[in-house]
Amino acid sequence: MLVAPVARADTFAGASGGFVYDDNLTRAQRDADIRADTAATVAASGGWFFVPTGQDGVSLSLHAEGQAYARFHGLDTIAAGAGARWRHKFGVGRDVPWIALALDVSHGAWRDDIRDGNRLDAKLEMGKRFGPTFDASLGVTLDRRTADHDRPVVPGISGKVFDLAGHSAFARAAWDVTPDLQVAARADVRRGDVVSTTRINLEIFEASDAIAADPAFGPDFFAYRLRGTTKTATLNLSYALGERASLNLTYADARTSAYDGLDYRNRATTLALAWSF
Amino acid sequence: MPPSPIARARAAVPPLPRIVFAVLALATLAIAARPAHADGDIVATVTDDHGAPVADAVVVAVPVDGVMKVVPHRDAVVDQVDREFTPKVIAVAVGTPIVFPNHDNVRHQVYSFSRAKRFELPLYAGVPAQPIVFDKPGVVVLGCNIHDWMIGYIYVSESPYFAKTGADGKATIAGLAPRDYVVRVWHLQQDGLEDATKKTVDLAKAKTVSVAWSLTLRPETRVRRSPVGESAGHY
Repeated sequence: MLVAPVARADTFAGASGGFVYDDNLTRAQRDADIRADTAATVAASGGWFFVPTGQDGVSLSLHAEGQAYARFHGLDTIAAGAGARWRHKFGVGRDVPWIALALDVSHGAWRDDIRDGNRLDAKLEMGKRFGPTFDASLGVTLDRRTADHDRPVVPGISGKVFDLAGHSAFARAAWDVTPDLQVAARADVRRGDVVSTTRINLEIFEASDAIAADPAFGPDFFAYRLRGTTKTATLNLSYALGERASLNLTYADARTSAYDGLDYRNRATTLALAWSF
Repeated sequence: MPPSPIARARAAVPPLPRIVFAVLALATLAIAARPAHADGDIVATVTDDHGAPVADAVVVAVPVDGVMKVVPHRDAVVDQVDREFTPKVIAVAVGTPIVFPNHDNVRHQVYSFSRAKRFELPLYAGVPAQPIVFDKPGVVVLGCNIHDWMIGYIYVSESPYFAKTGADGKATIAGLAPRDYVVRVWHLQQDGLEDATKKTVDLAKAKTVSVAWSLTLRPETRVRRSPVGESAGHY
């Protein structure tokens, strides 16, 4: 028998800041079209955590992000959104399996507004912890992005290049090598719309279903929307700075096959400090 | 009211012998009041391989003759503050009831699967009405089903003579009768068995006995609480 006062929601907040270097921002195949740059990134989030039962946790959150590029200022971004996540554990204990469902909606605004739009991400994930220092999960995601602006450059072909949809499957694992250092690896396979920005390119033009000028990279660059498969391998090293902060180094290597003959690869390296309050 | 038998006996004794009688009576009382044994202390020091003090180590003394006084159990408390167990390590004698108040805004579900005590406090806020009685010696590892990183340790001692080291790595077990004791130490990161740390000390020869251990500590294994940064790419 318990004396149980009315349970309130717990609040949480977090922030991160750092830099990301992307060696192929244009998602281009040809060396002449590839553009690389570094951006400063900041993000903040906060929300409420509810515990409806001993096996369930629900979080509602608000978040905001910003990116500022060193060269390609047209890619400078601010975005804000809201998310909800429910996690259910199948039993009691640290190592019991769990399932989580997450939904996130956001709006992004770029300096060059062809990318402006809303984004919806849904994720279903199942995982299990194997002892205190190792955990793994599998999941599927759906992503949908709607473009605010339609600026066709070719009559009869949509200019909503950034109207995108895709779905993916992923597997991830994290291992606390020491109490301070965590190594995490993740593999994603995504099938869906991708955007490649190049100078005028007949091959891509024929394969794309939406085209728009992409002045973020120069007046002679065009963004093409294609269907493609992207395989991404991600490695993350996270060094704990106490229990409320960490330094994170992430390397992601993505290889996309858009259609027979168009493949591109982009690698992003991120260094960021993360805090939780 | 008639005089009491003691008053009548006192009145029957002449003055000088009365003084002798009083002195003898006082001496008898003094002898009776003197403790049978002088209490002794065991002063323990626990360090790691590098000589640094080890906090939260539990030092236990067990009389070799097996005679242990019965100590009335008072409720102990393991609190939950900022989504952590406080204290992280607590030592209690077997049979001690422990209360698990929750001072967080979020509810907790405290459990243990340890052999020394299996229990579960269903999701709750505030103070559970009934404490949990820890009736078997051993180490009880606590967890919370909502916050996997929360971990706490209850050392349930079969002996009422124990103490936990402070930040200086020192602990004193005071008020022990003068006899032989087997002393041992336990720490949550200890590499090796607790029984391997056993030492015998003799409190009959000295009022205070110092005992020291140098422990090899493993890194603590617990679920990480620190944030992990995730970067999102674009397609």
